[in-house]
Amino acid sequence: MAPIFEFTSEWNLLAALVIGFAFGWVLERAGFSTSRKLAGVFYGYDFVVIKVFFTAAVTAALGLFLLNQMGLLYFDEVWMPNTFLLPTIVGGVIMGIGFIMGGFCPGTSVPAAAIGKIDAMLFIGGMVIGIYFYSFTYEWIWEDLRNSTNLGKVKMGELLGIGEGLAIFVFIVIALGTFWLVDTIKKKFKIEDVNY
Amino acid sequence: MKDIKRDKPDPNKYMNPYLAGILLGIVIIAAFFFSGEGLGGSGAYKDMVKASVVKVAPEYAADASYFEEAAKAELSPMKSWLVFEVLGMVLGGVVSGAFAGRLKLKLEHSPNITSRTRIIFAILGGIFFGVGSQLGRGCTSGAGLSGMAVMSLSGFIAAGAIFGGGYLFAYFFRKLWI
Amino acid sequence: MNEEIIISGRNLPYIDPVLNIWHWQIPLYLFVGGLAAALIFFSAYFFIRGRGDELKTSVQIAPILAPFVIVIGLIALLLDLRHPAYFWQLYTTIRLDSPMSWGAWTLAAIMPLSVIWPLTFLKEIKEYFSESGKRVKGLIQWIEDIINAIKPLKLSIEWFTKYRYQLAWVNAILAIILGVYTGILLSAFNARPLWNTSILGPLFLVSGLSTGAAVIMWMSRSKKERLIFSRIDLLLIAIELFFIIHLFMGFLASGAVQIEAAQLFLGGDYTAIFWAGVVMVGLVIPAILETMELYGYHIPISIPALLILIGGLLFRFIMVEAGQITRYLY
Repeated sequence: MAPIFEFTSEWNLLAALVIGFAFGWVLERAGFSTSRKLAGVFYGYDFVVIKVFFTAAVTAALGLFLLNQMGLLYFDEVWMPNTFLLPTIVGGVIMGIGFIMGGFCPGTSVPAAAIGKIDAMLFIGGMVIGIYFYSFTYEWIWEDLRNSTNLGKVKMGELLGIGEGLAIFVFIVIALGTFWLVDTIKKKFKIEDVNY
Repeated sequence: MKDIKRDKPDPNKYMNPYLAGILLGIVIIAAFFFSGEGLGGSGAYKDMVKASVVKVAPEYAADASYFEEAAKAELSPMKSWLVFEVLGMVLGGVVSGAFAGRLKLKLEHSPNITSRTRIIFAILGGIFFGVGSQLGRGCTSGAGLSGMAVMSLSGFIAAGAIFGGGYLFAYFFRKLWI
Repeated sequence: MNEEIIISGRNLPYIDPVLNIWHWQIPLYLFVGGLAAALIFFSAYFFIRGRGDELKTSVQIAPILAPFVIVIGLIALLLDLRHPAYFWQLYTTIRLDSPMSWGAWTLAAIMPLSVIWPLTFLKEIKEYFSESGKRVKGLIQWIEDIINAIKPLKLSIEWFTKYRYQLAWVNAILAIILGVYTGILLSAFNARPLWNTSILGPLFLVSGLSTGAAVIMWMSRSKKERLIFSRIDLLLIAIELFFIIHLFMGFLASGAVQIEAAQLFLGGDYTAIFWAGVVMVGLVIPAILETMELYGYHIPISIPALLILIGGLLFRFIMVEAGQITRYLY
């Protein structure tokens, strides 16, 4: 059944608008439009990013799994990334540096810019510059790395050999553990709130 | 938009993080259910960059392996799922900010650094994120969150690498934030 | 040698099979035409109603923009002409059945009046900008000096100031003609089913008025005036949405060509951009924000105003582009 809309259909673009609206709304509501709140996760004064991020991932993973079980959505028919080990790690670390310097990630910078954060607008500008830089140097620097170590479509359940459902259960337990951990860290080390 | 004064927002104005997480999860499920797509933040800019190069220098684009596909597809930047998603995010952000009374033009930074420093690092951070998201096939939401939603190894590696990279370098940039 | 068989029986390469000779100039012209008409209309209307002191921006200040906006439109029109040097030939005839002729003459009349109108308010404008920067004040002083230096000019401005009420009436009527004309211009094309509907005229008029109201509320410094114009704007948006729904219902209830024209927006190539860009960005979101403003939320007025302007511009671009695709012949 799902996905409801054909990928190339025009209605799908409208669905994208509505889904994006909800995405932007939630990010703004959660306080992701504030770079200092986002950066808090790296210094322990605000763990909202970890909380929202993990809750969202767990909810989505569980929901999609259930939809799949009910036969409403098949993983073959929706987006599923290939795992490129090395480029994902290198790219991820580069993004991590970008995160700690810029205080936003591409997704959160959009609602932040929308409500008038000048730093977010500059961040987006920088991102476009970065993508141009990457595009024009693609063949010289990135092409080989980007296409290396392709493991294909690997799912966590298969990788660990424990089946999809159990993998999600483990994921949920880890997430709950993390929530407990971050709150404990904040209390134990008496990290003070930062005004922003 | 003339008040650029900085005041402390009431922390209760932000949503409970767990509730926000569940709602965000539902948005992700909706994206997969209706469009078969994961959410993304950086892909839209990539589409626009590609389209702009194809438009301005079609011959170069047809030749370069990065633009090849885009040059053939004659894709318009306005016909991309991610571009519409980002457009929606702008509107969603504006409306949410309006309800919370957060619509204000301001440059936010720690009191310990100057605006100038913040500007430089915001742009630099953007550049890093731009490059990294292309190499890593998506950003925090595109590769990480959406990848984790379908329980793909790739998503967990991406999320781990992004946050790991952040923690790894957090020490060097602590002056920017605390 | 390649031979073409002309099945339609017509061989007009600029019309069949696709008329694609109107580029960015025409939609831009339609946009600024509607905007100028709205600015002049609101100014004249509220002056006639005697609310000049209460609604300062709309009556005295915003119409300053009108002549500049019209000039942009005229430049766009000139660029669109194949032979710009012959534009004057439009003025060698008066054809009551041609909207092109109507438009050309209306523009010729409204252009000087749109310059004279704000000049009659020079004193009020000077007072309004008394706290502005040096350059603005210098510019106003410079204009005043010129008028004072040239006696006939000074006398004629004084004469117009004396008969400002009558001038307002002329302006209001001309502005309505200009606003309607931007819509009629398209619907006069019988060969394009998307354009050939009587709703297009009022729809463009209302949309133009709403962009004008957006500009006025953006410029206005008084909260009361902003609220009045945001209310006007809300009303206009509601009418616009009604017309848009009506437009599509009309198409869907017509013949196959009209249905096909409507399908461009209901699943076809222009669906996403129309519903997202024009309806959501240009109408629904500004309406939400303005409603919130009325309920006391603090909204920077520039956001809904800008969205309305973007939506209005996009609407004309899409209508002109899409209209050139629709046709009767197959």
